[in-house]
Amino acid sequence: MSTILTARDLTVRYGDVVALEAVDVEVPRGTSIAVLGPNGSGKSTLFAAAVGLNTPVAGEITLGTDRIAYLPQQVAVEPMFPATVRDVVAMGRWGALGWRQRLSDRDRELVAQAMHALAVDHLAVRRLGELSGGQRQRALLAQVAAQDAELLLLDEPFTGVDRPTEETVRTLIGTWRDEGRTVMVATHDLARAARDYDLILALNRRLIAFGPAAETCTEEVLAATFAGHVARVGGLLIETEHRHPGAG
Amino acid sequence: MESLLLDPFEADFMQNAALAAILVGVLCGTVGCFVVMRGTALLAESVAHGVLPGVAAAVLLTAGTSGDPHKAAILCGALAGGVLTAAGSAMILRRTRLREDTATAVMFVFMLALGVVLISRVDGFAVDLTSFLFGDVLSVPDWEVALTAGLAAVVLVTLWALYRPFVLVSFDRRRAASLGVPVERTELALMVLLAVAVVVGFTVVGALLVLGLLIAPPAAAALLTKRLPSMMAVSALIAAASGPLGLLVSWHFEVAAGASIVLVALAAFAVIAVLRPVR
Repeated sequence: MSTILTARDLTVRYGDVVALEAVDVEVPRGTSIAVLGPNGSGKSTLFAAAVGLNTPVAGEITLGTDRIAYLPQQVAVEPMFPATVRDVVAMGRWGALGWRQRLSDRDRELVAQAMHALAVDHLAVRRLGELSGGQRQRALLAQVAAQDAELLLLDEPFTGVDRPTEETVRTLIGTWRDEGRTVMVATHDLARAARDYDLILALNRRLIAFGPAAETCTEEVLAATFAGHVARVGGLLIETEHRHPGAG
Repeated sequence: MESLLLDPFEADFMQNAALAAILVGVLCGTVGCFVVMRGTALLAESVAHGVLPGVAAAVLLTAGTSGDPHKAAILCGALAGGVLTAAGSAMILRRTRLREDTATAVMFVFMLALGVVLISRVDGFAVDLTSFLFGDVLSVPDWEVALTAGLAAVVLVTLWALYRPFVLVSFDRRRAASLGVPVERTELALMVLLAVAVVVGFTVVGALLVLGLLIAPPAAAALLTKRLPSMMAVSALIAAASGPLGLLVSWHFEVAAGASIVLVALAAFAVIAVLRPVR
């Protein structure tokens, strides 16, 4: 199985704060990966490095595709941003087009499919700023879906969404994986991570573990990942609050 | 009624003023949409005042401490000052991780103080300073109208060509990066366009008031429209109409022309804000 994302000795700093240190990982194509770690463990930094938003101080990160879709953790759009939901979703196609090339029929079809999959078709002519938090997240996910990407990086996509939306997104992630795409999802949901994804990537600035849930969801790995901030409640592992200062 | 509206424009200087004001209106009304949708009004204000040291340096270099400064050198100095202000703000932001408004304000006061220090070295700059701050639209020569038209055309063509990268970095720079947009270069290009709009605008309405044309028409248009292309069109229309209407106010009430143009644009915003249905 070929590799779609490779990090070698990847080290990223924000000023004096080390966000990622000497991370080595090879992500196989066509898998779904839950990226686990406490706040500030470097999950967002790993995604940002993959799309070139930060410059490693050492090592490198390389991608086996230029068709990448990235949903940041929080997209803070101005409330009066002049774009309807359809405009926002269509922006997902702009990366595949030239700067002035018009949307083709295929592009419009992908936009329509993405809006339907995330159930935002009825919001098409509403301004993004007029939507609720959950509706806005669905529109942004539809933008990602419209990109028709090979590698999808979703940074905590379930934050602020209601239960039906959460289920819709989970189904979509499964569909993308079945279509042969690679989906990396930063999440805090340990139980779901073990159940729903092919592989677990446990981070705490350094790579703690990477592999199938059966090998990585051990108490030792999770204790190292969450630095002891994991509690067992009945049959569930629960992450308790823990944060490194400054790291993303 | 017809004479009230048309007679003032029989004078050549009023025709030039109206033409320059319309061109500046279209330019500021269009570029200003990116200022409003990015929430960077303070940066625009900073760039508007950042032209001051550039102007003062141009005066010192071309006229010494007395004598007549070279107008083209003043425009080049203003442009350099504006771009330097925007680039400096971006550099402070990147190196310090301060809040954007703090980084912008630091550069703003630095450029303003530098400008005042340089001005203090120039004899008899008080009159020129007044025209710098409040504009001199009634004495715009033919060549300056032509220059304004040329610069406006360059900015509008650039906006047309780079529309998608500009919208994407304004929407979310992280999403823009994942869509292959060179984020920092695109933001720099947007800053340069803003600086050009400010420089062209300050010759007509002055550095203090150019912000009014950059903000009021796009803000009014944002209340009426949902999509950027229509917002840009409505904003340009309001800003362009403010020019001749402001000149009429100035003519009939014998008040400052530049400030009258900006007040008309602000009045349009106020009327729309009050009359539009609340959503």
